[in-house]
Amino acid sequence: MSDIMSKTLWDGRRGLGGFAVGTAAVGAMYAGFYPQVAGGAMGQAVQGFSPGLREALRMDDLASAAGYLGSSVFGIIVPLIAVSYGISAGTRAIAGDEELGYLDLLLAHPVSRTRLVLHRFAALAAGAALIAAVVWLAMLAVRPGAQLGSISPTQFAAQCVALALLTVLFGTIALAIGALTGRRAAALAGTAAVAVLSYAAQTIAGQIGADALQYLSPFHYYLAGEPLRHGFQWPDLGILTGATALFLGLAVAAFNRRDLNS
Amino acid sequence: MSDVIRLKKLGKNYGSRRGLVDLDLSVTRGEVFGYLGPNGAGKSTTIRLLLDLIRPTSGRALVFGEEPRRHAVPLHRRIGYLAGDFVVNPRQRVDECLNFLADLRGGVPRVRITELAERLDLDLSAQIKTLSKGNRQKVGLVQAFMHRPELLILDEPTSGLDPLVQQTFLDLVREAKAGGQTTFMSSHIMSEVEAVADRVGIIRAGRLVACDTVAHLRASTLHEVEVTFTDAPPEAEIAALAGVTGLAVAGDTARFQLAGSPDGLIRLLAGHRVAALRATTPDLEQLFLAYYGTDDNAMEATRV
Repeated sequence: MSDIMSKTLWDGRRGLGGFAVGTAAVGAMYAGFYPQVAGGAMGQAVQGFSPGLREALRMDDLASAAGYLGSSVFGIIVPLIAVSYGISAGTRAIAGDEELGYLDLLLAHPVSRTRLVLHRFAALAAGAALIAAVVWLAMLAVRPGAQLGSISPTQFAAQCVALALLTVLFGTIALAIGALTGRRAAALAGTAAVAVLSYAAQTIAGQIGADALQYLSPFHYYLAGEPLRHGFQWPDLGILTGATALFLGLAVAAFNRRDLNS
Repeated sequence: MSDVIRLKKLGKNYGSRRGLVDLDLSVTRGEVFGYLGPNGAGKSTTIRLLLDLIRPTSGRALVFGEEPRRHAVPLHRRIGYLAGDFVVNPRQRVDECLNFLADLRGGVPRVRITELAERLDLDLSAQIKTLSKGNRQKVGLVQAFMHRPELLILDEPTSGLDPLVQQTFLDLVREAKAGGQTTFMSSHIMSEVEAVADRVGIIRAGRLVACDTVAHLRASTLHEVEVTFTDAPPEAEIAALAGVTGLAVAGDTARFQLAGSPDGLIRLLAGHRVAALRATTPDLEQLFLAYYGTDDNAMEATRV
């Protein structure tokens, strides 16, 4: 455990393991329902919904594997759990540990504030990558049995990379709010609010005629390009990465400027 | 300059709360400096300023001649720090925690950690969450001392330690001094600082109210003196002595407090027949309380 990043991952190993296994298990379970959905039961149920609602929930194409997974598994459940990990890890990274009093000791060592933020960010990114990788492996595992052969491993990988970047972005927002305020509650509640509002913006923007709004939502860049159908969406991934870099820079600048709370 | 710590008009303003006001102080190389004051007087604030955990609102602090903010990383290599409330993630073993902190400093010989742990009677294989407050404090002491830093900054180092371990701690400070290390330690108890400190600074409500060697502070302490004469006490002569207060004469006996040197009193007594003489040893604790214990309003204000 020679550096802060690996120590942070090691200290959070139980939580991270739980999130990784949980996300993958829930994702695999829902993906496993695809044969029944393709059989038409779900499609018929959804036919009763208005076209607008179907579009909002991305349920206008439940019959195809990419349509089903994009709406249910990767549309709601998996990002919800993965982003929860990101927010929780990002909150703990600075504000959480600061409120517990752990940061005084670390920063009294030969560790610059910039290095602390970067290591904590790296641990968050590694955790998100691990979750995405386990989800990917789970998808590959259920792919033959759940009739998901129309989606290639690369397309699954494209969706999982987007998942990792989405998770890291929300984690970095939480980290930045924590670096700015030092308040755990602010980081947690602030980021959760951003996540809920931006998910809503992505989902209903089209319905309320505010199309421009969805371009502000990270979820748009995670899902709208349909990686499960079209593979890697490099511009979208670039935007998620760029936004992350922005918040990381903000976090470093803010954390270097302020007093540590005791 | 051999000043390891130098504070120049250092101020920290917390808005409504009281911080530090124009603090001037210097600690020289190899010195053990005791930093005393009641809770909330500004001891931890001073220490956290030295470590760049917080930044001053006015004045400056220099550690080894450098600004803590601009040279935080190289300075921290030379410092061992024990926080007033030492806390680490409790879900780890003692040695796991200490090895991690040692690695942040580029490594510490394993034997050094085991030697310190043995002297303090600390079980390295224990989970930190199972340790008592005193044993957690020992973890803090080991991490502060283990790399033999040039400067030890210890905030209330003995809190929670039993008397036996307190003695071991004082030995560690003495050894550090013998090895040329400088120690800056805070406390709200005079006696534990008195045992090792070369100089003592007393802070109250963010201001340094006294700063001197232990010997000088002791010299300025009040002696309680009781003299019994064989005939009537020379009341007027005693009252005229410099430093005498609270004179009370009852029969052949005069009782009073004497501040400073007893020289004048002894010369006076030499011209009289004295049946008995009693002078209590100056109690630094009394002096300390006199500096900050009497003003209840100030005490209240610092707690806000």
